[in-house]
Amino acid sequence: MYSYPHPDLVAFVTPHYTSQLRIRAPDVPENSQGGNFPPTRHSVVFAAQSDDPATRLWAIETIAAAYWRPVYKYARVKWNITSDDAADFTQDFFTRLLEKEFLDSYDRSKGMLRTYLRTCADRLFMNQTRDANRLKRGAGAVHFSLDAFSLNFDDAEQELTAMPRSESPEDCFDKEWVRSLFALGLERCRAICEASGKTIHFELFARYDLEEADPRPSYAQLAEEFGLTTTDVTNYLAFARREFRRRVLEQLRQMTGTEEEFRREARALLGAEVK
Amino acid sequence: MNKIVLGVVLGAVLGAFDGLSAWLTPAVRSQIVGIVIGSTVKGIIAGILIGVFARKVHSLALGILFGLAVGLVLAFIIAQLQHGYYFQIMLPGGMVGLIVGYATQKYGSLQTTQRA
Amino acid sequence: MRQLTDKVVARLQADMQSPDLTGTRYRLVRYLARGGMGSVWLVEDTILQRQVALKVLDFVAAADDLAERLLQEARILAGLEHPGIVPVHDVGTLTDGRAFYCMKYVEGRTLAQHITGKSVPDRLRLLERVAEPVDFAHARGFIHRDLKPENIMIGAFGEVLVMDWGLAKVRNIVRNIARQPARPPTEEELTTEAASSATSRATGQGSVLGTPGYMSPEQKRGDEVDHRTDIFSLGALLWFLVAGSSPGEGSAGGVKVPRPLRAICDKAMATDPVARYQSAGEMTADIAHYLEDAPVNAYRENLVERGARLYARHSTAVILVAVYLLMRFLFILFARR
Repeated sequence: MYSYPHPDLVAFVTPHYTSQLRIRAPDVPENSQGGNFPPTRHSVVFAAQSDDPATRLWAIETIAAAYWRPVYKYARVKWNITSDDAADFTQDFFTRLLEKEFLDSYDRSKGMLRTYLRTCADRLFMNQTRDANRLKRGAGAVHFSLDAFSLNFDDAEQELTAMPRSESPEDCFDKEWVRSLFALGLERCRAICEASGKTIHFELFARYDLEEADPRPSYAQLAEEFGLTTTDVTNYLAFARREFRRRVLEQLRQMTGTEEEFRREARALLGAEVK
Repeated sequence: MNKIVLGVVLGAVLGAFDGLSAWLTPAVRSQIVGIVIGSTVKGIIAGILIGVFARKVHSLALGILFGLAVGLVLAFIIAQLQHGYYFQIMLPGGMVGLIVGYATQKYGSLQTTQRA
Repeated sequence: MRQLTDKVVARLQADMQSPDLTGTRYRLVRYLARGGMGSVWLVEDTILQRQVALKVLDFVAAADDLAERLLQEARILAGLEHPGIVPVHDVGTLTDGRAFYCMKYVEGRTLAQHITGKSVPDRLRLLERVAEPVDFAHARGFIHRDLKPENIMIGAFGEVLVMDWGLAKVRNIVRNIARQPARPPTEEELTTEAASSATSRATGQGSVLGTPGYMSPEQKRGDEVDHRTDIFSLGALLWFLVAGSSPGEGSAGGVKVPRPLRAICDKAMATDPVARYQSAGEMTADIAHYLEDAPVNAYRENLVERGARLYARHSTAVILVAVYLLMRFLFILFARR
């Protein structure tokens, strides 16, 4: 499986300095578009346009995992529809995605997937409103469901009530996308930590970085709580954060079609300014 | 131009001018040559003294005061010799000293000719 | 799946941006600022027990050119040892794969913040001190290419530092060689020329880098530039200092800029590089003339202006002599009565 590039950066500097760096491109095969990019089978952008149903399903599941919340909340905020209607709309959206309806015309060179999907949502809603032909829950309708996770619209609705009203639908969409990617990255990070016997690393990370407590516990307090030294706390947190960053960027790479898109989306994901 | 030379030149010029202005006083017009020479020498002496002071003391206020004092003293001596015209001699003399005192403090370099 | 609040998402974003200093001698203190291709952090050097600024690329430098550009910036700074240029202390790669370099931490204010309430002469003296490291860099074959108020820092003790040499480049080697006796370029020149080309590739051939308002016309067009592009920027900085606005913002906004200063700005910011000052030293010499009430080379005075300038410079002497002459005149008047 392709893992996030961990390039060996070693470059030669003037003899004045003792540190040395040499720069080498990561060992990543070229894709058909000529850029250094993960193999086709790991990119949802390519896989979603595949003729193989299993590959397509995997791709759509991956896209849906990151985008169902943004689509749901976007629909609620932009068109002020009820939560039931927004849930139906979200289901319909990903069903059509699965049926290749939207992604066939997606051109990676012309725009980012995130922007494209939002535009598709706009178009779908316009068409549905025009045709007054909403897909309701009922016999005969194709319902989108994912094996990997469930679409918990009630949770999404609760989060929506806590959202500031001044936010535009587009900002809401983008913000939810970031939130979803981070949540998925966290899950992967947790799984990796558990699989490698580093559960405590992730627990420390969750305790320090994922809880809302203000002020946060000090490293000394955490050390006492977990029965570790402060040096261990520093190192374990660094490990978990490193893993988290790696998994999030890995997830992002899957979602992007080109290196340029990845860089732009990474900047958006990480925020323009660090607060 | 160093401060002493500046003092001498300025003192000589203003002293000569001072002396020449005596031509406008008919009573002393006949002695104009002596007056001009005396006034110029007085200006040179004042210029040397004030220039040396400026080399040693770098203070605009003190330089002006010293110049004024030197100008007044030398002018008093001249006036004593003239047996009169104290006001007409001492006031311009004091002013010349003041101007030379100001100029030597403000302008002129501290450089002297280097000895081999 | 765990749901994350906005606060936690913001914290995670900050975490992802922050440098992973595991395995280095540094300890993270806080975020400082954002640069063109990365961010700058205050860190503590745990061995030398001092605080330094660490500049790190935005995200993993999987692309060669970004890391190479950062390295080039560090090399340029390392080659320019001047009190007005931040020294580089270290360069390397973090555990997360990002290239970084460490430099002196400057605790102070930007030029714009510092000049509030300062007189015009004080502002002009600041520009003289900005021009010194720039002139030094030019003499060593480097051009800054992004001089602007935000890249000038005034330290806590009044030291003036020119920052962010991220867009700096090596001067045109052909031009340098043309001034010397004919000989083949040395290996060092070829290396720096290659590095300059690498920077050009990294910055993009024909791509426009710099800040509008402070960028010379040739730099805006993406043409090959030389040190006179920095002279243009110094002129723009001078305008900013005396007029309080950047040149691109039009007029001085009600501030009366003395004609000699305006002439210095105009000369430095001439469209044709040949018409500009040919060195930063030449420009600061003219600024020094202005400060000393001496004639400025860039401006031809008329008689009235010359008289006014001489009077302004020697007003006390003029008044004393005038008083003396007036006194003499009054004596003559009374003597004639």
